[in-house]
Amino acid sequence: MQTVAKLIDTSLCIGCKACEVACQEWNDQEFTLGTFGGTYQTMPQLEHNFWNLIKFNEFETDGQMSWLMMKYQCMHCQDAGCMKACPSPGAIVRLPNGTVDFNHDNCIGCGYCITGCPFDVPRLSPETKKVYKCTLCSDRTAVGLEPACIKTCPTNCLTFGTRTDLLRKAEDRAHELQADGLQHAGVYNPAGVGGTNVIYVLKDASAPESYGLPRDPTIPWTVSLWKGPVKVLGSMVFLGGILGTFFHYIRYGPKKEEEHADED
Amino acid sequence: MKIDRFNIRERFVHWLVAISFVYAALSGLAMWSRHLFWIAGVLGGGETVRALHPWGGTIFALVLGVMFSRWASQMKLDAADREWLAKSGRYMVNDEKGMPESGKFNGGQKMLFWVEAAFALLLFLSGAILWFPEITPRVLRLGAVLVHPLAAIGSIGGIIVHIYMSLFAVPGSLKAMTEGHVSARWAKAHHPKWFRQRTTNENESAR
Repeated sequence: MQTVAKLIDTSLCIGCKACEVACQEWNDQEFTLGTFGGTYQTMPQLEHNFWNLIKFNEFETDGQMSWLMMKYQCMHCQDAGCMKACPSPGAIVRLPNGTVDFNHDNCIGCGYCITGCPFDVPRLSPETKKVYKCTLCSDRTAVGLEPACIKTCPTNCLTFGTRTDLLRKAEDRAHELQADGLQHAGVYNPAGVGGTNVIYVLKDASAPESYGLPRDPTIPWTVSLWKGPVKVLGSMVFLGGILGTFFHYIRYGPKKEEEHADED
Repeated sequence: MKIDRFNIRERFVHWLVAISFVYAALSGLAMWSRHLFWIAGVLGGGETVRALHPWGGTIFALVLGVMFSRWASQMKLDAADREWLAKSGRYMVNDEKGMPESGKFNGGQKMLFWVEAAFALLLFLSGAILWFPEITPRVLRLGAVLVHPLAAIGSIGGIIVHIYMSLFAVPGSLKAMTEGHVSARWAKAHHPKWFRQRTTNENESAR
């Protein structure tokens, strides 16, 4: 099965937040008003019951305020830090179409995925003690429908398709924008996490930070070390300890009391 | 002749430490590797283990604190202990001629005490950070995911040796921690300095 992806063309986002509503509706999420930050943004951050947030990044050029609008959700990384960190078999799965999905029957709520994620996406629910994030509407894509946010987007800012097609489309669009005078326009598909199944066309790809995107996201090195060499070290210590003491006994046996008593 | 080694309070505290350690270690191993996740099934399921492991660790830290405060003064390494440690290779191959005589605890036991206490402190601090991933700063969690397993590996490794020594390598040791006393021969063989202190003191008090 081909890997599917979501293309977000930030140059076409008008900040209508229809995708936020569609996400809440389709996933049957109760809206709980969080902190109101005094901007047009719905809330400052993603929540366990709010998986799709349009960030209204404000910036000023020549005394004029403007927005860099950015749809923020799970990036569905090809090399996913959440999956690497998760200790519970089957709690985080990669679907045949490449989507990273959480299976809440198997989630134990340890929150390791929160630490493993380079994009700060998974959120722990205080009620269920389980972790939630965008599923790329796996229940829709499974039956050939596009994700709810994409279905509802009125400006064609969002496109659903195969990853290969969308990458080509993204490059074409970036060239179009460059031709229109946005010389730094480009594609955001960070290689550090093996590429993402959520691909952005940024009006200014030279400064992804201004959109709130990390410049070069990778699985944190401490997480990679923890899930790699540290595991090997642990297995060596545990097995070595048990086998080592066993064979020590076979070779040297127990300590005798008599020999020492005789010395006195 | 029997010689008292650990009183009921010491034994009680030791076994509370041991039981809470074993629970914390097993429940921790369940969440450490997917290959060991079956342990979670034995202990009541993944969610139960995730909820109770931090509490098991907290109880361990508390009772270990009690044990530490009661034993720390007896665990100071003196010159003889340092010499013992330098020659510990001989102890390991049961060739103890020329090794300094041990007091109530030998150099190895004292080192285990300090090393395990240090690991426990690291486990407690890093564990507290990992307990609440939704509120603790990310940078601390990124450190804790390394510190916690490394300290756990070290402490479990030390305890494997501790259990081997007490159950198999030094016969008669377990009684000290179950019934509270050891035989005079045991004391004389493994802790001669302590044996002399105890017998002299008892003679004096009998006088």
